[in-house]
This record gives sequence, structure tokens and C-alpha cells, in this order.
Amino acid sequence: MVVLREGMCPGLDEDLVRDLRAADIKTVEDVVSSDIEELAQRCSVSYKALFAIRRVLLAQHTAFPVSGADLYEELLSSTAILSTGNPSLDKLLDSGLYTGEITELSGGPGSGKSQVCFGVAVHISYHLKQSVIFIDTTGGLTASRLLQMLQAETSNTEEQMEALQRIHIFRLFNIFSLLDCLYSLRSGGLQQVSVGGGSVKAVIVDSVSAVISPLLGGKQNEGMSLMIQVAGVLKTMAKDFNVAALVTNHVTRSGSGELQPGLGVSWSHIPRTRILLERVERATPVSHSSMRSATLIKSSRQPCHIKEEFDLQWGSRSKEASSGKRKLDETDSG
Amino acid sequence: MTESGAQLFARLEPRRSLKDVEPRLFPDDGGPDHGEVVELYGTEGTGKTELLYHLLCRCVLPVATGGLEVDVVFVDTDYSLDMLRLVSILDSRLNADEAALRLCLSRLLVVHCSSSSQLLLTLHFLETSLSSRPSLSLLLIDSISAFYWLDRCEGGASVAKQEEKLSKCAVLLGRLLRDYRITVFATCHAMRRSWSGPSSSSSSDYDRPYLCRPWQRLVTHRLLCSRLEAASNMAATAGGSKEQRRRQVFTVHCTSSSSSRTKAYRSSSFCVTDGGVEFI
Repeated sequence: MVVLREGMCPGLDEDLVRDLRAADIKTVEDVVSSDIEELAQRCSVSYKALFAIRRVLLAQHTAFPVSGADLYEELLSSTAILSTGNPSLDKLLDSGLYTGEITELSGGPGSGKSQVCFGVAVHISYHLKQSVIFIDTTGGLTASRLLQMLQAETSNTEEQMEALQRIHIFRLFNIFSLLDCLYSLRSGGLQQVSVGGGSVKAVIVDSVSAVISPLLGGKQNEGMSLMIQVAGVLKTMAKDFNVAALVTNHVTRSGSGELQPGLGVSWSHIPRTRILLERVERATPVSHSSMRSATLIKSSRQPCHIKEEFDLQWGSRSKEASSGKRKLDETDSG
Repeated sequence: MTESGAQLFARLEPRRSLKDVEPRLFPDDGGPDHGEVVELYGTEGTGKTELLYHLLCRCVLPVATGGLEVDVVFVDTDYSLDMLRLVSILDSRLNADEAALRLCLSRLLVVHCSSSSQLLLTLHFLETSLSSRPSLSLLLIDSISAFYWLDRCEGGASVAKQEEKLSKCAVLLGRLLRDYRITVFATCHAMRRSWSGPSSSSSSDYDRPYLCRPWQRLVTHRLLCSRLEAASNMAATAGGSKEQRRRQVFTVHCTSSSSSRTKAYRSSSFCVTDGGVEFI
């Protein structure tokens, strides 16, 4: 809804805006949809002038059509595939996270979603030397954990610090600050962040359902509308700035008892690729097992429902870390 | 509104009819004719996008490889156009011919819209494209329901205000269909409107149309897409081997209700391969 104001285009002066408002034409959509001949007579302005104004307003406010060939060329040159650092996940994702798309990781508590996100952030900042934006809405991100993962990759403290500096963290706990943050990133924030380090290649939101699901339900529509707005800004950011968006989601049980990602049917169309993480059920249950299984539940590139198992501790490859890992398991049981 | 001679000619010149775009989907001799609207309706994962790309490829491919060689406008409302997937489908039909691929892609015009107001303005703008390109016979909208929740919240408590913007778009579409004799394909994401108990995982909950009346009146062919859950045994027996590809079968129920004919029905099934949709 774009409201008509004088000076929007040549020929649209204050008097004309006043006359149009008197004829109940207040927005650009009203001008474009109305009958120009009739309007010209009512506002006593020449038909030619009004027609020219309509044409300029239309050209200013519509999305411009692009040829498919040009779009494909652009995509070929700008799309990148970012490895997640975990070869089993990469196999599921057809070699990694694609820029320009939203990928969703869903799973129950303790299924490893946040750990996978940390692993992705560390891999991109250390191995690919690019910046990452990490939006934490659950309070589960600690710099010490990121440092620990980096220490497993390299023992050079300078490199560790550089990699940590490329991960930019935002802590938000409600949907309005999330929307604020995303809008400001989209309108210039991303460029600011990439000054100094590599350009931003990934935006990780852990978790998007923590801020949205409290608003859903009941008879009000605002929750759904805010959810679609978040989806919209994430998608445009991913497309316009060639970043890969990774979001995490909780799980619920469907009517037939199966595990399914949360946030409902309206959210299910938003991510291009969806992965469900679960703990692996072994015959002899080992406490604090770090094996997880990932199932591909939506993909445009692979057949669905292929499963891969992986070890969450794959990222921490150091030899002397066994005591450290056990300590981590004890503290990480939350 | 005055128009030039060329515009008048472009408007009246018959555009390529899409009646034969996919005879396996529509009832006998009942494909989408001039001025008709096809709505692909279904939940996530029911093959709507694959079907849409299949129809799109059929339209832009050259006649030699089995296409219709018409220009297509793709209105992308939720940034879901997967260009790489589209190109891989075209490649498999064209046998990796670069020049032919470029030619096919140049017949496609893509527009992104981010709100229903912008959709309305874009449809007005497209009118000029329609009058200057007589080979443009198809308008694809993916998806028409993308702004449903945004409009509902903006409209506040009054249902009329909630549906106002989409109704205006539908009315404008109706006029473009009549004046320019194009065809429209649109996808619509299904939603469950009311919770009717824990045993209701049947697809009937998802059939009910929920968009505004002017849009419902425009739709002549309704393709209800759903997914068959019958293949769950295969995964257990095959043991998760690498070659095992669970062939997910999708079904489409077509209801055609154009004014000149009585209601006709047709059901078909397909599965998705690397090269696109394969009917069974």
C-alpha cells in the first residue's frame, strides 16, 4: 500500500493529490486500478497528464520482469554451496547448504540442532574464511563452545581469534526484535558486517520456532502474519545477498504419531530443504551417546526419506579431548 | 482506453491454446482452453511444484522436442522458483544443448512480488507485456496463497477487508483472461481450516478452498495433489541400501468445471525422477 504524495512523480503536485483524495483515490494502487477517463473528468485534469502519471507510478512501483536466461546466468555465477563440515549431512544436502535458499533443521530437545549450527558456523568461518551471522533466540550459544570447536581444528590462537571474529552473534528473544534485526541486516547491515572479514555467506537462526510458536494458536492472525513476514525477509535476504539461511525448528507429533517439524502447515512451504534430526536408538543404550540420525524430509534435489547417521562429536577431532568431551557431556545434558 | 493498431492486433490475434499441454492430467478433450484457470492445490510435499515445472517445460520447449514453444510469465510470490531444478529438467529433454536451453529460457519471464499490492500493480504492468508479445499464452502464479496470512492480519476484523486485495487481483486477472485470451496456472498451498479430531489425517480436510470468492469463480480446473503413503514397506525390506530409491507416488484428481461443459473428473498418478515428472 503506497500512499500518494506530491512529488512522487513529475506532474503530481499538491492540488492534484488533494483532488484525487477527494475522489477517494489515496494510494498508488487506486490510481492504477481506476478508469483514467472518468477520473480525469472528475478531477478536471487532462487525460494525457493523468495517463502519464499512471504510467510513471506503475513503472516506479512494480517488480521488474527478468528473462529466465538472465536469471539463470546470474544464478550460475553467484550461487555457492557451503559445506556444513559434516560429510554425512553434506551427502543429504547434495554437497552442502546452497546460497539463496532456506534450509531447515528440526529435531527434539537434545537432538543436536544447535551443535550442528555451531559446527556449520565454525566450518564456514575457519575453513571457508567467510563471515557468519548467528542469531541466537534460545540462549544456547556460548563463545567458549565455539572456541572449543575451533581449538579442535587448529592450535594457533591467532587463527582461532580471527575465525571467532568472523562469527557475528545477535541475541534476541522475541519476534519483534528478530524482525528488526533482519530488516536492518537486509538494508545495509550485511555490508557493514562484512567490512574487515570475508563477506557474509550464512545467516543462522537458532531457533526460529522459539520466537514464533508462542504467538500461534487461538483465533488471532497476527502470529501467522509475523511468521510469514520473517520468512519473507529471510528469503529476500538469502536471494539478494547470496547467503545461505539455516533455521532450526522444534518437532511435534502428527495425528498418526509420527514426528514432524513444528510451526504447522503454513511454514512447511517456506524452507527449500528440511532435515529431521533424531537420537539413534541402539539395542544396548549407551548413555550420552553422540550418534544422531538425520532424515531428509523435503528436498528438490534428492529423493526424500534418505537417512544418514553421524556422530555429533565429529567436529571435535583432537586426540587429547576425551576427558574434555566427557566433561562436555556432563554439562551438556540440558 | 485508446490503443494502437498493433496493440489491437496483438489483443485479437489468437494465442496458442494450451488444451493439449498435458492430456494425461485433464479429462478427455478437456485441457485448459483460452481464458481458463488451472489451480494446483495441495499440502507441502505433494508434487505441485514438480507438476508446475513439468507443465512449464512443456510450454517453453521447442516443437521438435515435444514442446509448445510459447512464452510464459512466471509470477513468483514467495521466492520459491528453483531455477537449477528447472534447468535440469530442461537439460534432460534437450540432451544438454546449450543454445537450445538458452532459447527456451529466453521464453520465460520471471517477476517477483512481495505483497498483494505489488501483485496487483504487477498484473497491471504485465498488461503492456501481454499486448506487445502475442506469443505469450501462459501466466504462472506460484503461489496465489502466499499473502493469505499477511492480508488477513492487515484486514483486521472484517473479512471483506481481508479479502479485498486478492479479490482485486482476481478481478483484474479475469479481465486479462477475457481480453487477451491467455491461460493461467496457479498453485495454492492447502491449509487445514478446522481441527476435526486426531484420526483425521485424510486428505479431505485439505480440500476445502479458502481463498476469496472472486478467485474461486475464476478457477475452471482444480488439480488436487496428494501423496500416496503406500511405499513405506519398501524402506524396511530394502535395508537402506544406496540403490534403493523410494519411489514416492503422487496422485492428482482433476475437477474440470468450465461453463460450456458439465463437470468432468480424471485421476492420474506420477512419480518424480531426476528428469522430471513421469506418469504411471
